Amino acid sequence: MHISDGVLPLSVTIGGYAAGAVLTAWSARRTRSQDLPKVAVVTAAFFVASLVHIPFGPTSAHLLLPGLAGALLGPVAFLAIGLGLLLQSLLFQFGGLTALGANSLMMGLPAMVCGWFFQTFKGRTSFRQAIVGGLSGAFGTILAAVILAVLLVTGGEDFFGVAKIALAAHVPVIIIEGIVSAFTIGFLFRVKPALLEPSFVKPVKSVHV
Amino acid sequence: MSELIPIQLPLWQMPLLVLLPLALPAVMIAGLRRMVNRRRIPEEERDWSIPPLTDGDGKSLLHRWDVRCKILTILVYSFIIASLRHPEPAAVAVAASLLVLMIARVPLVKVLLRLLALAGFLGMLLVVMPFTVAMHPGDTLLVFGGVNWLGLNLRGLTLAATIAAKAVAIALLMEPLLSTAPLPVTLHGLSRLGVPEMTAQMVLLSYRYLHVFRHEARRMSSGMQLRGFEKRTNLATLHALANFLGMLFVRSFERTERVFDAMRARGYQGQFPAPAELRMHFTDVLISIIWISAGIALIVYDRIVLQG
Repeated sequence: MHISDGVLPLSVTIGGYAAGAVLTAWSARRTRSQDLPKVAVVTAAFFVASLVHIPFGPTSAHLLLPGLAGALLGPVAFLAIGLGLLLQSLLFQFGGLTALGANSLMMGLPAMVCGWFFQTFKGRTSFRQAIVGGLSGAFGTILAAVILAVLLVTGGEDFFGVAKIALAAHVPVIIIEGIVSAFTIGFLFRVKPALLEPSFVKPVKSVHV
Repeated sequence: MSELIPIQLPLWQMPLLVLLPLALPAVMIAGLRRMVNRRRIPEEERDWSIPPLTDGDGKSLLHRWDVRCKILTILVYSFIIASLRHPEPAAVAVAASLLVLMIARVPLVKVLLRLLALAGFLGMLLVVMPFTVAMHPGDTLLVFGGVNWLGLNLRGLTLAATIAAKAVAIALLMEPLLSTAPLPVTLHGLSRLGVPEMTAQMVLLSYRYLHVFRHEARRMSSGMQLRGFEKRTNLATLHALANFLGMLFVRSFERTERVFDAMRARGYQGQFPAPAELRMHFTDVLISIIWISAGIALIVYDRIVLQG
C-alpha cells in the first residue's frame, strides 16, 4: 500500500524527502558509477515483478518484494526502489508526488535491512538460502507495514484506526511474500546462483558498513 | 463524551445515509475499471515495448510553458495543496485543477486512469475514518437505531473527504505536468534544475525497459496458461509464481548485460544527447508567479480566514 497525497503532515513529507535523498545518495555512492544504467534496467524488472497479482481467496494481493530486492541488490536496493517509486508515482499515480520521500523510506529501509540479513545468514545450502530468503521476505513486509503505520500515526490520533487496519491488511501479504520469496530464492539458487551475490556493489576495502 | 452531539436516527435510515453513498461510487469505479479494461484489449495489439515518449505536441499554454518553471511551480504548489486543512479550500483546489486540465487539453482517459489508481486508498480512508477517528468535544455523531458503539463521526468523514480532495487535486495536475512535454524534455528540465544528470537517464532507461519486461512477463504468463496453469489460493500456485518471478529476474539480468554492452558499443559514455534547448522567457516566470500566488491565497484562506 502506498500513501497518497494529502495524508501526511507537511513536516513529515519534507522530512521524508530529505531522508530519502540522503539514503539515495548513499546508495548511489555504494554503486559502481558505470553500473548505474544497469541498475535502472534491473529496477524495471522489479517493477514488473511487483505488478504480478497473487490470488488470495476472493481478492488478490500484489507483492512488495523488499526481501528479494534486498537479497539481489544489497545496498543498491534503496536506489532501485526510489527510482521504481518515482516511476510509479509519475506514471500510474500509485503513491503521491508529495508523499514520494515517505514512501521510499517505507519500502527502501526494509529492503536494505533484508539485504543485510540475507547476505549475513544465507549460508551455502539451497535449503538454508530459501529459508533465510523467505524469512527476509516476510520480515521485510512486516517492517514496511510498521513504517507505514508509524507514518500514518504522525497525522495525529485521528489516524490510529486507519493505521491499525493497514497493519491488519498486511498479514496475508506477509505470509504470501514469505513463501514466494523462499521459492524464488530457491529457484535462483538452482538456476543462477550468481544473482544472489549483490552484483553492483562497490567493493569496500577497510571499512565494513 | 458528554459534549458530543449525538444525532439519533432510526436504524432503517442507515442503508439510505451510509451504505448508498458508499455503494454508488464503488459501483461507478468498478464500472469505469471494466470499461477501461475493455478499451485496452484492442490496444494490446500495439507493441508495448515502445513507450509513448512523444506526447505533448499540443499547443496549449502549458505546452509552451518552460519545463523548468512548470516542474518547480507544480511541485511547490502540490506541497501547498497537501498542507491544506479545511474542506473548503481543498474543494477550491480541485476546481482549480480541473480548470488547469481544461487549459492543458490533455487526454482525459489517462487522467481517469490516475484517479482510478487512487480510488483504493482513498476509498479505504473514506470508509474507515468516520468510524475510527478520535472523539473530540463538539463532534457530531450519527447513531443509528441506538447502536452506540458504531457511531459515524461527521468530523472523520470531513477529514477523509478533505484528504481525498487534496489527493485528487494533485493527481489531476500530473497529466498537465507530464504529458504536455515529451518525457526526455521534462527529465532534461529536471536535471537543469540541479537534480543529478544520472537520475534523468535512469528514469528514461527504466521507463523503456519497464515496457520490455512487461511484454516479456505477458509472454511467459501466456506460456504458463497454455500449459494449463490456473491461479488458485494454494501452495502450488505460489510455487509456480515464484518460479515465474525467478525466471523473470534471470532473463532480465541477462538482458541488462546485453543492453549495457550494446549501449557501450554505440559510444555511450555516461551521457545522452540533450533533447532540446530550453529557453526561459519573462512570461514563463510570470505564469509561475501567478500560479504560486494562487496557492498562497489558498493557504491564507485555509489558515487565516477559516481558522479565524
